[in-house]
Amino acid sequence: MGLVAPRKSERLINLAILLLSSRRFVPRARIQEVIEDYRDKDEASFERMFERDKDELRAMGFPIETGHNDVLFEDEVGYRISPNDFELPPIDFTPGEATALGLAATVWQQASAAEQTAGALAKLRAAGIEPDAQRLTALAPRISAREAAFDPLWQAVIDRKTVKFRYRDADEVRVVEPWRLAWRNNSWYLLGHDRTRSAPRVFKLSRIADLPKPSGKADAFQVPDDAVMAEQMRSLERASADEQAVIAIRGDRAPALRRRGTPHPAPVPLPEGFTAYQVPVSRGLAAAELASYGPDVIVCEPAGLREKVLDHLRAFLAAHGGER
Amino acid sequence: MSSSDQVNRLFAMVPYLRARPGVPIEEVARTFGITPAQVVADLWVILMCGLPGGMPDDLIDIDMDAVEGEGVVHLSNADYLVRPLRFSRDEAVSLVVALQTVSEIATGELQADAETAAAKLTEITGGEVEPVYLAINTGDEQLRSQLLDAIAAGQRLRLTYDGQARGETTRPLIDPVGIEMRDAVAYLQAWSLDRDDWRTYRLDRIVAVETTAEQAADHGPAPELGQGWFADSDGQVTLELDAASAWVADYYPVRDAIRTDNGLRATFAVADPGWLTSLLLRLGSGARAIEPAGAVSDALAAAQEALDLNHSVCGSVPPGSATN
Repeated sequence: MGLVAPRKSERLINLAILLLSSRRFVPRARIQEVIEDYRDKDEASFERMFERDKDELRAMGFPIETGHNDVLFEDEVGYRISPNDFELPPIDFTPGEATALGLAATVWQQASAAEQTAGALAKLRAAGIEPDAQRLTALAPRISAREAAFDPLWQAVIDRKTVKFRYRDADEVRVVEPWRLAWRNNSWYLLGHDRTRSAPRVFKLSRIADLPKPSGKADAFQVPDDAVMAEQMRSLERASADEQAVIAIRGDRAPALRRRGTPHPAPVPLPEGFTAYQVPVSRGLAAAELASYGPDVIVCEPAGLREKVLDHLRAFLAAHGGER
Repeated sequence: MSSSDQVNRLFAMVPYLRARPGVPIEEVARTFGITPAQVVADLWVILMCGLPGGMPDDLIDIDMDAVEGEGVVHLSNADYLVRPLRFSRDEAVSLVVALQTVSEIATGELQADAETAAAKLTEITGGEVEPVYLAINTGDEQLRSQLLDAIAAGQRLRLTYDGQARGETTRPLIDPVGIEMRDAVAYLQAWSLDRDDWRTYRLDRIVAVETTAEQAADHGPAPELGQGWFADSDGQVTLELDAASAWVADYYPVRDAIRTDNGLRATFAVADPGWLTSLLLRLGSGARAIEPAGAVSDALAAAQEALDLNHSVCGSVPPGSATN
């Protein structure tokens, strides 16, 4: 074998084993004596290396406690890892739940979340659980995002770290406390507190012009309660209907409109194949939507809405050099 | 690969190997998402680790002859590493969100299993709140359940489908094979007997499902959903969009987009000419089709027809008399 064991991994693992296999706090002097890489170091270099290693283990999730074994000799600082805090708590899954876990393994199409899911499932396998989705070939739940900003924002939301990014074309950099990612109306959004504007804001990921950069410490802010979040989510919902229109629709056409409506007596004689419906529409947006159906719809009432639709179509013809 | 990735992995790998005497290296590689060569490199690191003391008996033992000869792993002398390390926050939330996605798309037993599995994980990780709001568009649950049953039973189906691109309700005869997601929208993948080709149907636009007396035929493997979404459509159109119409580039897949003085020039894949006509009519004067020049002609004819039809049915109203 030509592969050489990376010394640093070896040192970190031996340090973790030393601390978790002892019930008592392990004194610094003992740590320096036992761990090979620390042994021949002078006090200052040992100190630096040990502090860095300790920080790395803590970042990985090892709960390293600091304390003294003897209250009378407080100068002798020691360290330990309590197995109860370090080990995965007992957990058990039914065969059905194990199948759901196996299917969950394939959900994430985004690199960072996919790796994190694989890491979690490897730990479950190490705890004796066998996720299995072999028999479920007809279902393929997937979460994906085209936006490059998704990965860094996902990580920042989990870490609760502030992010900086350029929004739209503005040269202005937005500094945001990221609360949640949300999928609505075919797009990904970020909900958060915009420090630049000192207010909650919703950002569309496709309009973020660069890769968001995390800054500062983890757990840097509190995520507000559900009520505040729900208020933000409402701004993403479509405009609500505020007007009733009577619209004649050709046969099976314009299904999105037809399903919203209820049959209605025709206010004027209709051409063959048309049926009238009463449809709730949104005053501000209806003209463009109704125009998109072209000759498949006739706007019977109100007359003002019909004229807006026809003006919209005339403007289209004019913009492209058509008649009228 | 950083050493913290390796350390995190090895603290799962040791209990995993301990519980599975003689596990093949290939299987270890699959579980941890690494190459077999990396597994062997990891094993050499593990060999150098163990309890403090420096005696051979203190180190974790792996039968390297069996590794190199038969390609299987036997690990011993690591009785203090029985359980894997706890989940990190990002591992826990990635897996829980994946399970929630499974529960949204599944029905019946699997849905319940995904929910209870997520609840168990949330409990052992201290109830971290989820970082995403997914409004996954999966259509009606009863229809979904009907579709999954038909797939399992190999039945041919007749759908009632509100096609968006053509703005028409159709009743295609299909052989269903699976339910898949792209972004956060669920699609039925099926062989269309009318089109004699693979087709995808958005679940939320399927209005009704009827089983037929016929069995579904075998049409070979279905193409993967995802990358090749619009790859099969040669048609494309380049539109010059004003600022108020630039949202279109966020909403539909764009092949290319560049900023202009007052908006955006974007190139879209066109799978269906009906979709382009409807889009151009909706945008009115907000978009100009710049390439190919003929792309706008259908929409011009449709706009003219719509104007004439509305005038003849509802009576002529002079232009510009729209009231609010």
